[in-house]
Amino acid sequence: MNTVIGAIENCRFCLMCRHVAPVGHITHNESVTPHGIALVAAMQRRGQLTWNTSTLDVLYAEPDGGNCRAHCVTDQPLPAAIAAIRAEVADDGLAPPEVVSAHNRIAENHSAFGSYEPATMHGEWGLFVGDVGFNLARETVQAALKLLEACGLDVVPVGCGLDSGFIPCSLGYPKTAHAQARLCIEEVQRTGIKKLLVLSPQDLFAFLQMHQERLDITWPEDVVIIDLIDFLASQVPNLKLIPPAGITENAAAYVDPTHAVRLPGRFDAARSLCEVALGSAPLELFWRKDRAHPVGSTAIQFTRPDIGVRLTEARLEDAINRGAKSIVCDDPVTLHELRLRDKSNMRIQGLYETMLTRLPPHS
Amino acid sequence: MEWTGLQPEMVRSELTEIVGDAHVSTDEADRLAYATDWFWLPQMWLDRGEAPRKPDYIVRPKSAEEISAILQVANSYRIPVIPWGGGSGSQGGALPVFGGIVLDTKRMNRIVEIDEKSLTVTAEAGINGKQLEWAVNEKGLMLPHYPASANCATLGGYLAPRGTGTISTKYGKAEDLVLRMQVVLPDGHILRTPIVPQHAAGPDFYRLFLGSEGTFGVITEATMQLDYLPECRLLRAVLFEDLTDAIEAGRQIMTRRLEPFVIRLYDPRSTASRVKKILGYELEGAYMVLGFDGDKDIATLQEEKAMDIINGFGARDLGREPGEAWWNQRYDFYYPPQSLKLPWMYGTTETVTTYDKIEKLYFAEKKAVEEGYKEWDIDFIGHFSHWFHWGVMVYTRFIIRNPPDDAKEAVRLHNRVWNTAMTAVLENGGMVNEHHGVGLKLSRFMRRQYGDAWPLLDRIKKSLDPNGIMNPGKVGFGR
Ligand SMILES: Cc1cc2nc3c(=O)[nH]c(=O)nc-3n(C[C@H](O)[C@H](O)[C@H](O)COP(=O)(O)OP(=O)(O)OC[C@H]3O[C@@H](n4cnc5c(N)ncnc54)[C@H](O)[C@@H]3O)c2cc1C
Ligand code: SF4
Repeated sequence: MNTVIGAIENCRFCLMCRHVAPVGHITHNESVTPHGIALVAAMQRRGQLTWNTSTLDVLYAEPDGGNCRAHCVTDQPLPAAIAAIRAEVADDGLAPPEVVSAHNRIAENHSAFGSYEPATMHGEWGLFVGDVGFNLARETVQAALKLLEACGLDVVPVGCGLDSGFIPCSLGYPKTAHAQARLCIEEVQRTGIKKLLVLSPQDLFAFLQMHQERLDITWPEDVVIIDLIDFLASQVPNLKLIPPAGITENAAAYVDPTHAVRLPGRFDAARSLCEVALGSAPLELFWRKDRAHPVGSTAIQFTRPDIGVRLTEARLEDAINRGAKSIVCDDPVTLHELRLRDKSNMRIQGLYETMLTRLPPHS
Repeated sequence: MEWTGLQPEMVRSELTEIVGDAHVSTDEADRLAYATDWFWLPQMWLDRGEAPRKPDYIVRPKSAEEISAILQVANSYRIPVIPWGGGSGSQGGALPVFGGIVLDTKRMNRIVEIDEKSLTVTAEAGINGKQLEWAVNEKGLMLPHYPASANCATLGGYLAPRGTGTISTKYGKAEDLVLRMQVVLPDGHILRTPIVPQHAAGPDFYRLFLGSEGTFGVITEATMQLDYLPECRLLRAVLFEDLTDAIEAGRQIMTRRLEPFVIRLYDPRSTASRVKKILGYELEGAYMVLGFDGDKDIATLQEEKAMDIINGFGARDLGREPGEAWWNQRYDFYYPPQSLKLPWMYGTTETVTTYDKIEKLYFAEKKAVEEGYKEWDIDFIGHFSHWFHWGVMVYTRFIIRNPPDDAKEAVRLHNRVWNTAMTAVLENGGMVNEHHGVGLKLSRFMRRQYGDAWPLLDRIKKSLDPNGIMNPGKVGFGR
């Protein structure tokens, strides 16, 4: 057995991450918790089950948001195991049509959501914009670039419209994921970038963990990969943002983006930026920080769109239940998904866009 | 059930009418996931590629009223109904041994009220234990039932098998923390127990539902007692050369009412194996973790007095660090591959009795199991972890690392070991269980356990559930 897939043998009868299993929470269904998915996969391997509509529905219900592993004392790579099993299913020609077509779009265009525009400029600092940022959430990209400019940096946007490999890998197409990862590295090298700021946690997770662990790709040593939010948090004194006057209590809730649990270092940075942008600490969701739940922005939007929508709705409900009148988030991918699903007229504001409004006029 | 034709569809459509199509499943993968809880036997059965008994329907109700209607359907068709919380029970209590309807309570997960004056929380029974704890923590409070399964178990699942958590020695078992419950009886009648449990207005009938494991009805809501999060938790570890001394030290701490929130005493085999594996300490003897919590000055004084007792037995004080390490890693024992796992055979034969009997019971059970299954190279380990004023629970486990490959043979061996262990327990004045419940696993011992009192329980069951629909095959009640 592929060694990563071996994780299912540990997870199939383990219930220890159930309390942070996002899909389990919205469906209340044992079969789509980490334990249930691993059990179905393990039973398929023992010949007790075959891949059919029912069992594939379970296999494709895992969102690859990292909650199970983030709470696993023995660090079982269950999401990677599920991606590897999906790859076997795809090889056998059994992947659902929506999965196949999402993959084909990426294989053909390098983008699931629009087009990819290779970078042409050169520089030391780069901002990895990604697929969703470029194609669906440009205002967040623009705000991030302006903030970086205000920090005195000349930053080259790269990866504009480019999938980082995360989506195809999670869909079960490691070869395509490999090609995408290589393309990301080539573009960064071609543009001479040595300090790569990354806008979306999804891409950051791909660069820092997934490429190495699931695709056996190592980034060049001379490129430093930096979470944009960490960088901006360190620049707060230089930015001299003007806090909004008279705000003592906030009605804005911060939503930790999808994959945040995989990048725990960013929790405090995000909140410190919220505080300067909003004038006081944001409201906290119940599902926050190390127990933050994803929205449906991962490959689940293609594998089980029904579940993806409900994941996003659940985050909106969490905010409403906490008394929030608006939501703030830094990640273009999460923001786009929240905006797409909101039916409550909740104001969904980009953190970087909000910060931009606080810049002193001369910046 | 194994019906064919029209009848299963009739049932399905009636269930759908009650809860909606999205909340009734007859899906193959779902039925497999609900075919096993955390009991070794069904897990082994699946592991060896054997076909399990699956439920016919999985139904997810949203309210007591929906459950009431489901039970009425089940009565008309005489279909078993098996309440299911987190499926983390180790006794096979949630197994659909005769098929039927698995009633998953997890959609009923609302917190109805947190009363910060009386320090109570009222919540629906399907709420996850950890989520409930996080919610009350936000108010500076805790539900002082800390089982190792809080991540996966539900409030209803805490109460139905009379669970016990890590800090029970001070705060009590789950059943001691409940003030009031809402229950749906097998015939669909919905009732609430009186507002408080301590009164003199007649008998304590609410206790019938604690330990009935779904055989007397479905718990749908409970009001639980809360506590303030403690100002401090003082932990330390000590090492006794001799287990007998350690048990006696524990007894003296308890009978002097020094209120430790935890005394976890590992026997020498557990000290050498589990403590070494998880905490990394190589020690010989009986390892005891001792904890006091609450206001710092009071906890400090209680700890000092307990240490006076412990020092009287010449035990070695290992200091705070190994006690705190145990506290921080106390649930790590349950994550695979660190936990006991297949293909090994294992079982937790935990029991409870009074101080005058506990040591004799422990050694009798150990001897019976070790000598009876020598050829299987059986390992018998244990720890004493839930202490009362009058006695203590011993959490004993057997492990066979090379059980038979054949699933049926494995079942037979497993049940023989249990027969041996439970016979030793019963003959030495112990209860067949202290906190995991009875389920399917211990069902066959219930008549022996209760003797003359069993017919009373049986009569209660028959009058509450004349059609025998509620969780048949469990807690000693047949179909
Ligand atoms: C890793 C691990 C550690 C554990 N540690 C502990 C521990 O420290 N302390 C402890 O006490 N137990 C422990 N257990 C076992 C314990 O029995 C369960 O964890 C827990 O209390 C059961 O809750 P559940 O919601 O999973 O119930 P389930 O397993 O779903 O059900 C258990 C029984 O209760 C019945 N039931 C469930 N909900 C209801 C309801 N609403 N109304 C009526 N009947 C119902 C079921 O039919 C079944 O008979 C552990 C289990 C695991 C997996
Ligand atoms: S990821 Fe870890 S905690 Fe979750 S099911 Fe697997 S082994 Fe258990």
